[in-house]
Amino acid sequence: MTVRILLADDHALVRGGLRRILDAEADLTVVAEAADGAEAVDLARATRPDLAILDISMPRMTGLQAAREITRRVPAVRTLMLSMHDNEQYFFSALQAGACGYVLKSVADEDLVAACRAAMRDESFLYAGVAGTLVRDFLDRMRRGERISRAVLTEREEEVVKLIAEGHTSRQIATQLVISHKTVDHHRANILTKLGMRDRTELTRYAIRAGLIEP
Amino acid sequence: MRRELSLPLFWRVCLINGAVFALGTLVLVLSPATVSERTLWSEIVVLAIGLAVIFTLNGLLLRSILQPLDHLTGAMAAIDLRQPGRRLDETAAGPATPLVAGFNAMLERLEAESTTSTTRALHAQEAERQRIAQELHDEVGQSLTAVLLGLKQAVDAAPPEVAAELEQVRETTRTSLEEVRRISQRLRPGVLADLGLLNSLSSLASDLTARTAIPVTRGFLPGLPALAPEAELVVYRVAQEALTNVARHAHADNVELGLTRRGNILTLRVADDGVGGADATAGAGIQGMQERARMGGGRLQVRSRRGGGTEVLLDLPIDEATP
Repeated sequence: MTVRILLADDHALVRGGLRRILDAEADLTVVAEAADGAEAVDLARATRPDLAILDISMPRMTGLQAAREITRRVPAVRTLMLSMHDNEQYFFSALQAGACGYVLKSVADEDLVAACRAAMRDESFLYAGVAGTLVRDFLDRMRRGERISRAVLTEREEEVVKLIAEGHTSRQIATQLVISHKTVDHHRANILTKLGMRDRTELTRYAIRAGLIEP
Repeated sequence: MRRELSLPLFWRVCLINGAVFALGTLVLVLSPATVSERTLWSEIVVLAIGLAVIFTLNGLLLRSILQPLDHLTGAMAAIDLRQPGRRLDETAAGPATPLVAGFNAMLERLEAESTTSTTRALHAQEAERQRIAQELHDEVGQSLTAVLLGLKQAVDAAPPEVAAELEQVRETTRTSLEEVRRISQRLRPGVLADLGLLNSLSSLASDLTARTAIPVTRGFLPGLPALAPEAELVVYRVAQEALTNVARHAHADNVELGLTRRGNILTLRVADDGVGGADATAGAGIQGMQERARMGGGRLQVRSRRGGGTEVLLDLPIDEATP
């Protein structure tokens, strides 16, 4: 089954680049393109794609507003936020707005496809920076002796956790451990599930509790 | 303004001199003293004494008028426009009252003008920053993103010997894109427009912790009213500057960042437990914060805490009518 994708970015060149990367994958296909947030919402209602990829800063309606609208009007459409901002508050605000993942533009060439697939599995895609923060925070709480269900991680996963906490990207981790990019993504997903940071709801709840965003 | 005895200074000096001369003349006319054709020594002595008396009397009277002027000169030299609100004492100025009043009025005008021009300069600076940040983000950033995506395609399709080189180009592009984003973020925090004040302050706190590993305790009162964009920017920039100072100078183990409200006054508080010793008058950073505070009609205090550390307090009036 191919995933039907709506692509929204106000910059035509970027849209073209994203489209070529997505269309190169057999299981992904772009069915509609929008140049601003309002158009993205209209197209999402008209074409009912499986996934909407939204740039966070667009004219007429920002990506955050568009994600909120799409989640409200066509809840079956999953959304993925594309952003320049390497910033936790943006990340959590995107989750709050209903996006299930957040991809940094500076690593979009590497992360986008993995993020699309994670979104289709209803998992949150965390970029390296925010994954690092979350995992560091988790390790801190564990060290302070807070009662957390100590997840059983395999030896390999422990290694990956350490590298995630240091803020390495999947690709850097792959090079360091001499394993494939895909295997790292697989480990990451397993780790986040075990640490209770797998989906949008868990992450948003965590961020509000930690005072990272306003409820 | 008081109008009693408001004779111009020139006429006062003339009148005093005239009165003293008149007195001397009167004494000459009414007393039996005469001067012989060949002046006697005794007469010279009397004349000299008379002259000395006139001179002293004149000096004493003029002193009462002119001494306040000397005080005034000293006070003028000590006035510093960066610390507004200082005025000379009009009641103690005596005959120089009109001058002091005039000087105070001039200070008032200068301060008002300096506040207006600072505000205008800050507004212009912010607008310019926003424009540059926007263009960097929207034009350069997007183009670099497009290049990055194109390179990914090229790397995948290229023969191995070219691919390695293309891979390097791709990493360079990635680094440049990161750089553009960082610069644009520093110039103009898009976070403020996109996510609101509290999330932006929170983001400043996260940045500080990420940069320096100093934990920041956030304390934001829930249910704060929506502020005007200018007021939000004032709060944001003051918090940004204060946290930058903490990172640079304080050697702190803990920072508190709070936003609370009492009546119609919004208070931003940035407190650290570092070395303290901040001087409220020195440093472009603190001066900048003060200018921003004035721009929003607020007040900024920087003080040392008991037991070490520095506390920055910004009080800003909230205008409920304009949400």
